[in-house]
Amino acid sequence: MIKKRMLLNLDKLKIPKGKPIVFAERCKGCGLCIEYCPKQVLSFSDDYNEKGYHYPVIPPEKEGECIRCGFCRQVCPDFAIYVEDEN
Amino acid sequence: MRIGVFICHCGKNIAGVLDIKRLVEEAAKLKDVAYATDYVYLCSEPGQKEIQQKIKELELTHVVIAACSPKMHATTFARAVEEVGLNPYLLEIANIREQCSWVHHDAPEEATEKALEIIRAAVAKVSLAKPLAPITVPLTRKVLVIGGGIAGIQAALDIANGGFEVYLVERSPSLGGHMAQLSETFPTLDCSSCILTPRMVEVARHPNIHLFTYAEVKNVEGIVGQYKVTIEQKPRYVDPDKCTGCGDCAEACPVIVPNEFDQGLGARKAVYVPFPQAVPLVYTIDLEHCLNTKRLIVCEQCYHACGPKAINYLMEPKEIEIEVGAIVLATGYDLLPLEALKEYGGGIYPDVLSGLEFERLLSASGPTGGIVRRPSDGKIPKRVVFIQCAGSRDPEHGCPYCSKICCMYTAKHALLYKHAVPDGEAYVFYIDVRAAGKRYEEFVQRVMEEERIVYLRGKVSKVFQRKDKLVVWGVDTLSGMAVEIEADMVVLATAIVPSKNTADLAKLLKAPIDEFGFLNEVHPKLRPVESSAMGIYLAGAAQAPKDIPDTVSQASAAASKVLGLFSQEELSLEPIKAEVNLENCDGCAYCVDVCPFDAITLVVEEDGHKHVEVKKALCQGCGCCMATCPKEGINVAGFTLNQLKAQIHALLKEDEDD
Ligand SMILES: Cc1cc2nc3c(=O)[nH]c(=O)nc-3n(C[C@H](O)[C@H](O)[C@H](O)COP(=O)(O)OP(=O)(O)OC[C@H]3O[C@@H](n4cnc5c(N)ncnc54)[C@H](O)[C@@H]3O)c2cc1C
Ligand code: SF4
Ligand code: SF4
Repeated sequence: MIKKRMLLNLDKLKIPKGKPIVFAERCKGCGLCIEYCPKQVLSFSDDYNEKGYHYPVIPPEKEGECIRCGFCRQVCPDFAIYVEDEN
Repeated sequence: MRIGVFICHCGKNIAGVLDIKRLVEEAAKLKDVAYATDYVYLCSEPGQKEIQQKIKELELTHVVIAACSPKMHATTFARAVEEVGLNPYLLEIANIREQCSWVHHDAPEEATEKALEIIRAAVAKVSLAKPLAPITVPLTRKVLVIGGGIAGIQAALDIANGGFEVYLVERSPSLGGHMAQLSETFPTLDCSSCILTPRMVEVARHPNIHLFTYAEVKNVEGIVGQYKVTIEQKPRYVDPDKCTGCGDCAEACPVIVPNEFDQGLGARKAVYVPFPQAVPLVYTIDLEHCLNTKRLIVCEQCYHACGPKAINYLMEPKEIEIEVGAIVLATGYDLLPLEALKEYGGGIYPDVLSGLEFERLLSASGPTGGIVRRPSDGKIPKRVVFIQCAGSRDPEHGCPYCSKICCMYTAKHALLYKHAVPDGEAYVFYIDVRAAGKRYEEFVQRVMEEERIVYLRGKVSKVFQRKDKLVVWGVDTLSGMAVEIEADMVVLATAIVPSKNTADLAKLLKAPIDEFGFLNEVHPKLRPVESSAMGIYLAGAAQAPKDIPDTVSQASAAASKVLGLFSQEELSLEPIKAEVNLENCDGCAYCVDVCPFDAITLVVEEDGHKHVEVKKALCQGCGCCMATCPKEGINVAGFTLNQLKAQIHALLKEDEDD
């Protein structure tokens, strides 16, 4: 098998990492955060919150991909999401 | 009218083939010829004196000099006749060397006949010549330098130090060119950045230099002395006046991209400087990879991280109009892409590298901090094979020429590799080693002997992968044996080619390029830094592959040409320009479109009468208009239709009246 080239200085570059924290009970399912997330980390949950809405979750395969841009927090009309710094 | 004909022997160059005596006899019989003679070397001091004396003594009104190409000595003779008061445009050169004796040395009799025809045509043409006076045009004493590699840097500094304003346009975000990518430089092994960076800083600080990085020349109009240039400044999305170069933005940016400056071997962020010593030290957002697009902002990490609030996602491209009198082209080179060298595994195997990639691995500021590592797994290679002439001297790859620097940098690479990996083995495949330069041969000898690097004379036929090794099949032509080497890394000395878009830029400037795309000089020996497009000068690897010392010398030479041009207040131009014959021109305007220099405009008088007008400064005397006009309404002075007709009739041995 022919290998690919790797980037030789990756260990020296820091990539911001975040973890979105969702207050599911506050969400009204508008989906703005899902729409805005540049890395498409978020998607709708299968189940419903108390108000009867699907809320954002991070599917297991997207774990660790958040880049802490904080856009979800900014666009959320209901203060239902924020991002914790993981670095 | 009293025409004098002077025939030169040029030693044996002409006289060894042509029957000079017969030429003199026949020339003397031609109409209006008052005198004909010959001389061993007309271009010599006594030769010129002889011409001058005869003009005065015999009151000659027109002169024909039958000798070498006018490209060679037209100016010499023009100056000589002018000194004795003859208008230099009443002189005609008949080229009986390049166009006759040299090419027909095996048929002297026919050649003599042909020479006679050439002389007869010249006499016919000169008999219709009119005295002309040079025209003067304004000269903007500012220069545009295109390309900010070492060639452009040197030329800009020399001209700026000479007291003239310089606009330096570099298309990448930083000055420096390829020299900035090099580790250490042959033959002295001084660190490339250490000698280059101070010059880059000097450019940025110089009061006479206006530096435009991340910019390109979009349009050029006009001619020598008065070019109008449009520069397009690409948006960096970072305000250069506010950016302090702290790098907080890059720290915050989540996007990782291969860094072009590291030949893609290392990574950078979407907001970046190509290398830490970049000049100017201003970050740039590469919108192609930034999470934002022109229409949607989804990430603002760098904006928030930037203390001085230099980030501006809404920046637009800017156009800057400047006027300059001369242009220096220093656009440098690229390497033949690895993908073009499939037989050596180029572009297929990750550990087959180009010379520049290897430079980045050797460089202390490179992605590995100067530790040689394989791009496939990061391991230190213990056996490296270097292949010279990879693409060069190889017509099949379109580069039959020698790239000139590879023998030297391969020796350097092998040496630096041995210093970095003392227990490693290095093999070099070469056709022959060309080390012509001051202390170059000594350098190569030292590498071969002291560093115990194995030089194998022969070509490599194939490189392929076996497990995690690269197998190199070649021949050692000295022992006549086939060789197989199992290597960890292969470095190709890939051919040097002109940098991307050189052809487009050359077209814009009407500067000719050669068959490989390098910028062409007027004369390979005597005028190596001038383009045949007047006012355009060449420097560096854009003209042909060359190393740093040659590049710097050529850049200084180009600068001295510019300084010479700028030593005049006004520019005097040859009067060989189109002239409108108002009696014949009816304003059909056919000539307007064919003029390659946009020198002709249509004028409509108040009474509705139409005719064309020539802007003398723009006209280059090419004669396209004259050839197009159906009414003999436009003529190039010194080459009028009547003169050309007379010349052709004379060649065809016809009388003009029949
Ligand atoms: C692997 C390798 C190792 C080498 N090692 C040595 C060494 O040890 N010693 C030595 O003496 N030489 C060495 N050289 C040669 C050296 O790199 C060149 O001599 C030198 O870089 C030529 O400088 P330049 O300014 O002509 O061209 P470049 O360095 O190519 O610079 C040209 C500049 O013009 C810019 N440009 C191009 N087109 C445009 C455009 N249209 N508009 C605006 N800007 C443009 C480019 O971005 C670039 O910055 C080496 C070369 C290679 C490939
Ligand atoms: S953070 Fe701001 S000031 Fe610092 S380098 Fe980036 S753009 Fe320049
Ligand atoms: S906006 Fe985000 S992705 Fe773009 S350069 Fe700035 S930090 Fe990087």
